[in-house]
Amino acid sequence: MNNINIELRNIDKIKNGNIILKDINLKFFNGQRHILIGPSGAGKTTLLRLLNRLDDPTKGEIIIDGENIKDIPVLKLRRRVGMVFQIPVIFEGKVRDNLRITHDLGISANPPDENEMENALTLSGLKTEYLNRNASELSVGEKQRVNIARTLLNNPEVLLLDEPTSALDRASAINLLESIKGLNKELSITIIMVTHQLEFANYLGGHIIQLEKGVIVYQDSSENFFKNSVSLFN
Amino acid sequence: MEETNFTLINIGYLDLLIGFGLIIVSIGLSRWQNLTLERDLITGAVRTCLQLIAIGYLLKYIFTLDQWFLILITLLVMIIVAAFTVARRQNKQTWELPYLVGFSLTAGSGISVFLATQIILQIKPWYEPHYLIPLAGMVIGNSMNGATLAVERVDSEIKNKRMEIEAYLALGATSQQAAHSCIKAAMRAAMIPTINSMMVVGLVSLPGMMTGQILSGTSPIIAVKYQIIIMYIIAFSVALSSFILSKLRFRRYFTPDHQLIEEAL
Repeated sequence: MNNINIELRNIDKIKNGNIILKDINLKFFNGQRHILIGPSGAGKTTLLRLLNRLDDPTKGEIIIDGENIKDIPVLKLRRRVGMVFQIPVIFEGKVRDNLRITHDLGISANPPDENEMENALTLSGLKTEYLNRNASELSVGEKQRVNIARTLLNNPEVLLLDEPTSALDRASAINLLESIKGLNKELSITIIMVTHQLEFANYLGGHIIQLEKGVIVYQDSSENFFKNSVSLFN
Repeated sequence: MEETNFTLINIGYLDLLIGFGLIIVSIGLSRWQNLTLERDLITGAVRTCLQLIAIGYLLKYIFTLDQWFLILITLLVMIIVAAFTVARRQNKQTWELPYLVGFSLTAGSGISVFLATQIILQIKPWYEPHYLIPLAGMVIGNSMNGATLAVERVDSEIKNKRMEIEAYLALGATSQQAAHSCIKAAMRAAMIPTINSMMVVGLVSLPGMMTGQILSGTSPIIAVKYQIIIMYIIAFSVALSSFILSKLRFRRYFTPDHQLIEEAL
């Protein structure tokens, strides 16, 4: 698997006249875990959406492995930089159908084989029996794992996770974070996760970037971050 | 044409007034039941009368002159009026919509009317207005209704399925693949009324054109054959124009880089 390195240079994002992100300079490193934290409206999700070009910045540039993001064919980019949304999106049918969706839509030429689907499910923390379960009947946490498995089948080098635990109870959230840690370790996928829950940021660990009102106010390793800012958050 | 020994009774202007009496009764009913439709009923009845009398005289004039360009201008005006009617009926009105509708209606009804008049009926001369204008009118009118439903559905589907569309895009889908289900839903919405009318024609309803032909003395068998052709070319025109329109309309929601445009929703 190719490693990928993402650099944001002087990024501004303005939406409907409002400044959402202001002069963001940031690096995401190969195979590491990065966590964007901050209150709602800080610009975390907007920043995440720039990394697979669901949105483009108003100003500045994003460099991926030395190449300007705009020079990479966008459909290829989105397979390299996968994204899982806050609210899991489930398509009609079984879990198996959800995992085959890229092939059924004509995005990928070959359908994933049984082994690949089972492997993606296991990595996402679901048993292989889930393949034949009706996807719409799963719990939110299970749906979120199906979304992760579906994204993994694209063999991404980076996984963007937008508040993946927000709809989960604490125990399920911790379980999901455990699976995300596992993915990062086993597949060396770069993880970039958005959360507003400090506990989960601390649990996942890695490089923490704190955003407020569209500006990076602090960034450090999770150990240093929680040591230095514990008084601030208390 | 097979003729029967049937003579059509002309309707005088006094007879029209008797018909108008029924509108007065309906207005009374509306007032009695407090429907507040009196003004709309009056406006509707007066517009029906004026518009149809005007078109009657205009058609008579065009038929007498028998000039191909006048007939094409008439068809063009019908398309333009239909295009603006579809655009005006939408919640989301955009400057380009009448042009998109005009283009898709021209393609859909143009091909089907050409097929009906030049290949099937082989009318001579090719612009024979007695055939061309009523046929085109029916096809354009039905396609206009289909187009209205298609645009409405594309707009609402893309708005409601925003999360699903972005999930597809994030997996590497093109905007076309991501909006596929929306376009499908729009085409179904546009086609269903036409399919329904094909299902019940002759059982529940007798179509206007067929009724008109029978009233004017044409053999019911000939009238029925005309009606069958009309239903088929309407179905084709609705399908083609709603397909083209849905494909053109969905594009306004996406950038060339397959990004959903939030402001367009």
